[in-house]
Amino acid sequence: MGAISPYGEGAALLWSGLRAGLSAIRPLRHARAEEVRVKVAAQVPDSFDPAARFDERILPQLDRTSQFALLAAREAVAQSGLDFASAGLGRRTAVVIGTGVGGENTQSEQARRLYGENATRLHPLTIVRVMPNAPASQISIALGAHGPTFGIVSACASSNHAIAQAAMLIRAGMADVAIAGGTEACITYGALRAWEAMRVLADDTCRPFSVNRRGLVLGEGAGVFVLEAMDHAYARGATPLAELAGLGMTADAGDIVAPDPAGGAAAMAQALADAGLVPEEIDYINAHGTGTPANDPTETMAIHRVFGPHARRLAVSSTKSMHGHALGASGALELVAVLGALAEGVVPPTANLDQPDPACDLDYVPNTARDMPVRAALSNSFAFGGLNAVLALKRA
Amino acid sequence: MNASLSDESIRDEIYAIVAKQAKLDVASLRPDATLKDLGVASLEAIELIFDIEEHFDITFPDEGANFDTDTVQHLIDAVRGALQAKSGGSEATA
Repeated sequence: MGAISPYGEGAALLWSGLRAGLSAIRPLRHARAEEVRVKVAAQVPDSFDPAARFDERILPQLDRTSQFALLAAREAVAQSGLDFASAGLGRRTAVVIGTGVGGENTQSEQARRLYGENATRLHPLTIVRVMPNAPASQISIALGAHGPTFGIVSACASSNHAIAQAAMLIRAGMADVAIAGGTEACITYGALRAWEAMRVLADDTCRPFSVNRRGLVLGEGAGVFVLEAMDHAYARGATPLAELAGLGMTADAGDIVAPDPAGGAAAMAQALADAGLVPEEIDYINAHGTGTPANDPTETMAIHRVFGPHARRLAVSSTKSMHGHALGASGALELVAVLGALAEGVVPPTANLDQPDPACDLDYVPNTARDMPVRAALSNSFAFGGLNAVLALKRA
Repeated sequence: MNASLSDESIRDEIYAIVAKQAKLDVASLRPDATLKDLGVASLEAIELIFDIEEHFDITFPDEGANFDTDTVQHLIDAVRGALQAKSGGSEATA
């Protein structure tokens, strides 16, 4: 696995921050921060220096979204020990990367030039930076991966849909290895104004499942994982981080934004059935847990429906309380948390949960991580548009 | 300039905007009706707030984003407050 997050570069930094219950939400850093109503965000630190990370011939092609994805992919591939040049592996490798909004920074900057400065000439690489498949394409080029490669777009569920799609390619025999995950760099003046207009952003911090929650906090980053067919991994003596055991994907087919507990519940039930797991085998759910008034009680209700009495015994946490909501990258950042929980037997907490909400009546692991064996876990992502994608993972 | 609007004209203008969004006859609106009563669902309520902000050139604060339970009278009071703040009648403007 690989990640870049508000904790910095590397999955280990992200996991250690979450395990320690440390929030990466900070005062918004933006040239126009004084003008907008949103005051906080979870941003990749300024120590991230693209010029130090990418060849100067490639860098002009890369929106921040692709920079994040490439960095996370490099880390994941290095950990896997795979060599795509050997024995035709590149031809059997897929790349599937989710993003909610694509090359938003480039889009915003070029629009500012066009409409704000009346420029008639835009950067010639605007198109190749902005396209939502750019992160997947850039990874395929960097690695020499010639298998099925494309972007996945489902707002806040993009990462989980991408990982599910990659797993299905492997199951279908179309690839032995898939590089999958999600990336987002969405904190621009235009996007901030658009979120502001929707009135779903918190002005203080992200407080999932707490009665004083005031909305979501925007984040950014990327998480990328190497998925590998089990026989392929064992044949080369690889040590898996976990088993991606089940996938569940549904659409509410109702309201464009208001979540429906039936849709989320159906996706969780599908993921369990696909994994061959019964509810009692799940020890941890990494919740979608945005901290909006609508999501948290709806997700709680969905968990009750699927898990019955076991809902009160398993641990549920929202790590968005710490890494923010990185939209299309959020499921990937959260998968780092789930893999950490499975590997180390530590469930990361829900930070800022200081006033329990009677409508949110599960064990949300408030504020402090918990040592407990985690045999299997779910990771929930529910998107605007009524799209639900749930991953089920088992300890390796 | 909006600060010179009378309470009646503020009310009438808000009634017109609400009636349009809720697809109702203006004559059927009452100040104690909530947006929910009027069948204005959450996303439409956000649009309605936007329309009112644009019309009066004001910005409502973020707090109490639960517009479903707000009444038409709440909206009228909020607009009046925002117009007063804008005209310098209050220090409370952000």
